[in-house]
Amino acid sequence: MRTAVPPAKPHACPRVVPLTQLPRGCCGVVAESAFDADDAEQLRCMGLRPSAEIRVCRMGEPCIVALRDGCGLGCRIGLSRKLAERLMVATAG
Amino acid sequence: MARASSEGGSLRPVAMLGNPNVGKTTLFNALCGLRQKAANFPGTTQEAHVGAADGLRLVDLPGAYTLGGSSSESEVCRSVIEGRLAPLGMDPAEPETLLVVADATNLLRNLVFVGEVLALGRPTAVAVNLIDMAKRRGVHVDRERLEERLGCPVVLCNARGGECVGEVRAAVSRARVASVLPPAEIGARERWAEEVYADVASARGEANHDSLTDRLDRAFTHPVLGVIWFIAVMTGLFWVIFRLAAYPMDWIDAVFTHLGGLVESAMPAGVLRDLLANGVIAGVGATVVFVPQIFLLFLLISLLEGTGYLARAAFVVDRLLRPFGLSGHAFVPLLSSHACALPGIMAARAVPDRRDRLATILAAPFMSCTARIPVYVLLTTLLFPESPAMQAVAFTSCYVIGVVAGLLSALVARRTILRGRSRPMALELPSYRVPDVRTALMTAWDRGLVFLRKAGTLILGFSVVLWWLGSYPLVDPPAEAVALRTQGELNADEGEVAALLEEADRLEASHAAEHSFLGQIGSFVQPVFAPLGYDRQLTVGVLASFAAREVFVSTMAVQVVGRDDTGDEGVFEALASAERDNGRPIFDRATSWSLLVYYVLAMQCIPTLVVTAREAGGAKWAFLQLAWMSGLAYVCAMVVYQVMR
Repeated sequence: MRTAVPPAKPHACPRVVPLTQLPRGCCGVVAESAFDADDAEQLRCMGLRPSAEIRVCRMGEPCIVALRDGCGLGCRIGLSRKLAERLMVATAG
Repeated sequence: MARASSEGGSLRPVAMLGNPNVGKTTLFNALCGLRQKAANFPGTTQEAHVGAADGLRLVDLPGAYTLGGSSSESEVCRSVIEGRLAPLGMDPAEPETLLVVADATNLLRNLVFVGEVLALGRPTAVAVNLIDMAKRRGVHVDRERLEERLGCPVVLCNARGGECVGEVRAAVSRARVASVLPPAEIGARERWAEEVYADVASARGEANHDSLTDRLDRAFTHPVLGVIWFIAVMTGLFWVIFRLAAYPMDWIDAVFTHLGGLVESAMPAGVLRDLLANGVIAGVGATVVFVPQIFLLFLLISLLEGTGYLARAAFVVDRLLRPFGLSGHAFVPLLSSHACALPGIMAARAVPDRRDRLATILAAPFMSCTARIPVYVLLTTLLFPESPAMQAVAFTSCYVIGVVAGLLSALVARRTILRGRSRPMALELPSYRVPDVRTALMTAWDRGLVFLRKAGTLILGFSVVLWWLGSYPLVDPPAEAVALRTQGELNADEGEVAALLEEADRLEASHAAEHSFLGQIGSFVQPVFAPLGYDRQLTVGVLASFAAREVFVSTMAVQVVGRDDTGDEGVFEALASAERDNGRPIFDRATSWSLLVYYVLAMQCIPTLVVTAREAGGAKWAFLQLAWMSGLAYVCAMVVYQVMR
């Protein structure tokens, strides 16, 4: 059974950066975060857990990311800039 | 839920759990149909639907991302599962079965939640909803393999189609404790979910990036375009509400007027007839008339929510509200409050942060609700009798003043009693879909019923009390009225007789209003309202409308003209030329402006205070709201009067 869809070719991006520094269309993996306990818990339960694959759909206020699972499905999460600034993302670039 | 209540002992209790936006309520509606009701959890702001279906008593719990979180949704779910909490009218008891609803289009994250529930070691069944959408996007979910991995019954379904109802019931009846419990620790459970997902889900072909959703998201959340979209959608929403609701409102009004007429013609004159016609029917009718607006508002909001647009709009509004210490979540409550503050304050449950929620509740009653409209119409007509354009400007200004006052009040609250960090917005943006009309209709029906129950209890009680205070003690007619009636009996001209009797009626009504308990209270309290320019009669109008603003117009009509038919143009003319005891006009320019400002800002609605106390978690918030709004209204109205006199 095939489960993984090859991720879309990422743009040239830095290695580990705050989410706000990624351009639209860039893909990456959630690396770490500097949230307080409540925000961290909420975002993790919404799917923004360490190693989750994301794609940036919109940059700015709000920042919109698509979470992708191995089959290319998932959900979209809108984040205020304050949260996006504190979410670190590892990219392949 | 009558059935569930009466047969509660023989029905198998099932708690339905799941992440938000997985179609849990749609599945619940498919299972229970109309055999359900909304019920609050005591001591919380959360609400559940309770229903019965073929031997099952289902409780549809609030959508939650985790059972262990600090949110009130998580707390309610946890408490119900542990048997510490039950919706009002039910005894707390551990549910026999847990039914977890998962979203097939976002199965990996949903499996983390499924694992959390399975780890409790309770009989569980899993319904994987939205399977048709997952298939369309090229993903296959192997049900047998998933059932094997989870160790409990699994059914794949499309709740909206309703064809899976039998399978879900069968799965619930086979519910069992998972043979191997998933890890309780979050990191280990996430890895477990990834393994299970990799084992049961497979994709056909390349995943696409859904560029249409990307484009729509960018348009709806754009700093400028997004605001234009938002204004267009909201204008359409209000237009539909006010345009379409006008018809059923007229019908309801006609029914209650007819009912009152029937009672007056069928019953002998006396206290009982007076109580039924002028207390019960008139009081309840004046409230029930707003049900169509409330029903339509919630229907349209529910439909909009179903499209996925509202989540995007929340971010647009967040930018506008954030400077005032409110979050984008406050947008639906504030919008709803323009129909009626009661559903608006109830909708504030969706605001996750406690301080944001309380600030929203405090700001909501400033929005100009439909009950203010009759007062606005009266006063703007009296202020600009010859200029409909200026009437419209003044009318619109009332709405703007209400919004500005609400936002500034929220800011003051956030800078003082609700000081603290605002929680930044993080919101799941559901897929764009065609909304489920059935779910929207049931939501609107629920809200309408809640409002009707209130009209049948609290508002009915207040109407009767106000009627009694305004009608008693009975007094003899004044000598002038008696003299006019005597003149009428001796006069042969029919036209003159009618005019004499009408004048006698007016004098008697005005005399009775002056000597009623309410009139006496008005005379006693009038000095308090003197700096605002209000005489005894206006004070009575303000006091009588303390429970509900719209009562002001009919009270003034009764006092001044002797009847409360405010649709009659003659009544408006009579009010415009009505004089105080000292011969000055009652509605002079300064007083009319002062009244307008007072009614925009004042807390003249007891049901709102009751709901605030319940939703904010204590009577102190209701008292604060009353003191702040009425104090602000008093000061602003006084300034307006003193400047303009």
